[in-house]
Amino acid sequence: MVNENLVKGVVKEPYKYGFVTDIETEKIAKGLNEDVIRLISRKKEEPKYLLDFRLKAFKKWQKMKEPDWAGLGYKQIDYQDIIYYSAPKQKEKISSLDEVDPKLLETFDKLGIPLTEQKKLTNVAVDAVFDSVSIATTFREELAEHGVIFCSISEAVKNHSDLIEKYLGTVVPASDNYFAALNSAVFSDGSFVYIPKGVTCPMDLSSYFRINSGDSGQFERTLIIAEESSSVSYLEGCTAPMFDTNTLHAAVVELIALDDASIKYSTVQNWYAGDEEGIGGIFNFVTKRGKCLGKRSKISWSQVETGSAITWKYPSCLLLGEESVGEFYSVALTNNLQQADTGTKMIHIGPKTKSTIVSKGISAGNSKNSYRGLVKMGTKAKGSRNYSQCDSMLIGDQASANTFPYIKSQQPNSEIEHEASTCRISEDQLFYLQSRGIEFEEAVSMMVSGFCRDVFNQLPMEFAAEADKLLALKLEGSVG
Amino acid sequence: MEIIKKITTNKSIDNQTEIQKICLDKLQSSPLPSAKSEQWRLSNKSKFSNFLDYSVNAKVPKFETPFPNTSQSSIRLVISDNYQINLIEDNYSIKQLSEDTLVKYFKEQISYFDQNENWSDLLNLSLNCKKNTLGLKISGSKIPPIEIFSHASSNSLNAKTLVIFLEKNCDIDLLQVNLGKDNSSLSQSTFFCLEENSSVNHGVVSYGENKSNLLNSLNVIQQKNSEYNLGSLHFKFNYARFEIRIKQSEGNAKTNIKGMQITKKDEQISTYTRIDFDGPNGFLDQINKSLADDKSHAIFEGSIIVPKIAQKTDASQLSRNLLLSNLAQIDTKPQLEIIADDVKCKHGATISQLNEEELFYMRTRGITLTQASKLQLSSYFQEIISFIPVSKDRWDLLDKLLNEN
Repeated sequence: MVNENLVKGVVKEPYKYGFVTDIETEKIAKGLNEDVIRLISRKKEEPKYLLDFRLKAFKKWQKMKEPDWAGLGYKQIDYQDIIYYSAPKQKEKISSLDEVDPKLLETFDKLGIPLTEQKKLTNVAVDAVFDSVSIATTFREELAEHGVIFCSISEAVKNHSDLIEKYLGTVVPASDNYFAALNSAVFSDGSFVYIPKGVTCPMDLSSYFRINSGDSGQFERTLIIAEESSSVSYLEGCTAPMFDTNTLHAAVVELIALDDASIKYSTVQNWYAGDEEGIGGIFNFVTKRGKCLGKRSKISWSQVETGSAITWKYPSCLLLGEESVGEFYSVALTNNLQQADTGTKMIHIGPKTKSTIVSKGISAGNSKNSYRGLVKMGTKAKGSRNYSQCDSMLIGDQASANTFPYIKSQQPNSEIEHEASTCRISEDQLFYLQSRGIEFEEAVSMMVSGFCRDVFNQLPMEFAAEADKLLALKLEGSVG
Repeated sequence: MEIIKKITTNKSIDNQTEIQKICLDKLQSSPLPSAKSEQWRLSNKSKFSNFLDYSVNAKVPKFETPFPNTSQSSIRLVISDNYQINLIEDNYSIKQLSEDTLVKYFKEQISYFDQNENWSDLLNLSLNCKKNTLGLKISGSKIPPIEIFSHASSNSLNAKTLVIFLEKNCDIDLLQVNLGKDNSSLSQSTFFCLEENSSVNHGVVSYGENKSNLLNSLNVIQQKNSEYNLGSLHFKFNYARFEIRIKQSEGNAKTNIKGMQITKKDEQISTYTRIDFDGPNGFLDQINKSLADDKSHAIFEGSIIVPKIAQKTDASQLSRNLLLSNLAQIDTKPQLEIIADDVKCKHGATISQLNEEELFYMRTRGITLTQASKLQLSSYFQEIISFIPVSKDRWDLLDKLLNEN
């Protein structure tokens, strides 16, 4: 029998991003009503259509009920006890990074995010979002040379209003679900990306989301538009300090790919997960959806979910264009009392569309890890194909792993394949590795990393290395 | 509330039995299953309400046997024929369960019922009367094959209940046939208790006529070292639900399930299964096949639940589906809920049409497209049909199906 305590040790690494930046912030009063929404909109100097969009969403949200079908157990969220806008105080207009509060730069430095000039060599453009606002976006000039627009969504509202008006809410409508409606009403910032026709984005783009204050929620919104024959790889990272209260994070991500365009969206989510007793941690309710509008367009989601007390997230693809492709690669690791309900929806609408789903769930401690997915073949999805694979690994006999795939087909000339399996760390393999002189912990992390290999291979280089390390750290002390 | 009214004002139930009262009480609070619950979400509402349209047990139909003559060596029983069964041969005995035993048993079962999950059983027991309940206690060995029939009569909603206690070291082959009539609804609930070392080869064949409806619920409790093999076939129903609930109460038991449902026209047939492993070393091998043609809708939903105590469980579930028409649809949802870590659990699901390469191969050998399709279908059906006991020799199920398709 593998030593339980040893394994437990492997998962117990303290959360190293749990520090709080002491910075003066501008917050509005707690609570949510129409005035708060008007105030946020006014602060961001938004045009009328956007305020109307927010108010409409808010009206819808008020009529909606918080979803409970995922069976997640968490204490009720008091939506009136949340601050909906919190921003670090800084000079009004920033023309270069030098003007950003050094404390903020220091924060992102500590998180390993290259915002400062000397670190720009990494060739990744970063949009850093701190609580409710975007504080800096790097490499903008270089990107502008190629016609790529990469900025915060607030800036895009001011400078590219036509694009925002045309696309915002077209993939995830305000009334889509409870949390999307809430986000549509109060979203504060986020990233905006526009790749013009025929352009392959010269570098990876990335957003880094940081929640700093304990009583404010983060509601960011990301919109990525890839015009005909363009392509982009986008990375997203998230961390938060350790508070013993729960913080709400309800984001919306919308992707639009036109003819022959391709978008790759990778996430490493490492929000604070709460302590061993399940106190504190982020409630992560995210709606991510991509629309393959054009022929031969492609949207690929890859995610490594290791943080958050509650994760409720189903990055999806609407495959409308002929021969469009949707992909979903996911690793979800839960430990202690974390609960993750994650998966994807692949909606095949156009003919000859293809989708691939690879999901790996690792549950340790007393956690609950569920895969919930939908594959649907519409009546016009002739010649379409789907392949899904969901594997779960259980560490310890207190954790639970669930698989709930919904499969629906209305098109005889299409194929759907789904397979799922559950396993645990094999003692034979552990013994073999140990007999070759490999330390127990290293052997465990090698095996976990092997289990996740299919997904890691899909991550961009920078993330793959980080994800591997992250899993090893998170698992430290939990396998046994 | 209509359904409650229908039951309470039903003439055929003069004196409500204790069980009927308990079930009616339970139904009072929520007379119909919640359309939001997972088990009933996809159920066609108008078809379901059509199920309840008929008057209850209007008349007890005479059973006219359209079947092959029974052979000397098998026992044939028809629920509601009011037999007094007391077969005691040298090696075995089949006794009818006493009314007290049945009441006690039902009471215990009802206490575990979930309003949505066991709604079909609640309805069945609230409708049913003494003469439509058959309870058997079987022991011994070398028992001849048993065939049990349930049938509905036209323009009527009939409820039939079957309870079987299988004693230690006993093994049987049992074929249960549910027959629908034109414009009829049949509610069939079966309760099976398998004691240690017992084994059953259970076949469930249900088929109807035009506009016949069926709610078929099967509850099985397996004690250790028991083996339960189920082969099932459902076809020709306007609306049918087959609910299977199996509990391996102490683990160390074996369950094999091979089921098939065939839908045509605008029929809807669904299969729901829930397998609970309440002890270690359980084994499950399950295949469910669906074939949907015309404008029909086939549904499969299967849960496998492996709690912490069920270490070393080995469970696999496969849902294979053929979609043959542009207007038909198939929903399938295999589910795993696992807490024990030392287990082997897997599931798979496929939806496709007939294999084109195989069809092409056969056609290059001079076989016509129709024949080639039939050949492929027959191999698809054969896997399930060969698993249904008793039927092999005298019931030409395969021919029946192929002629239908």
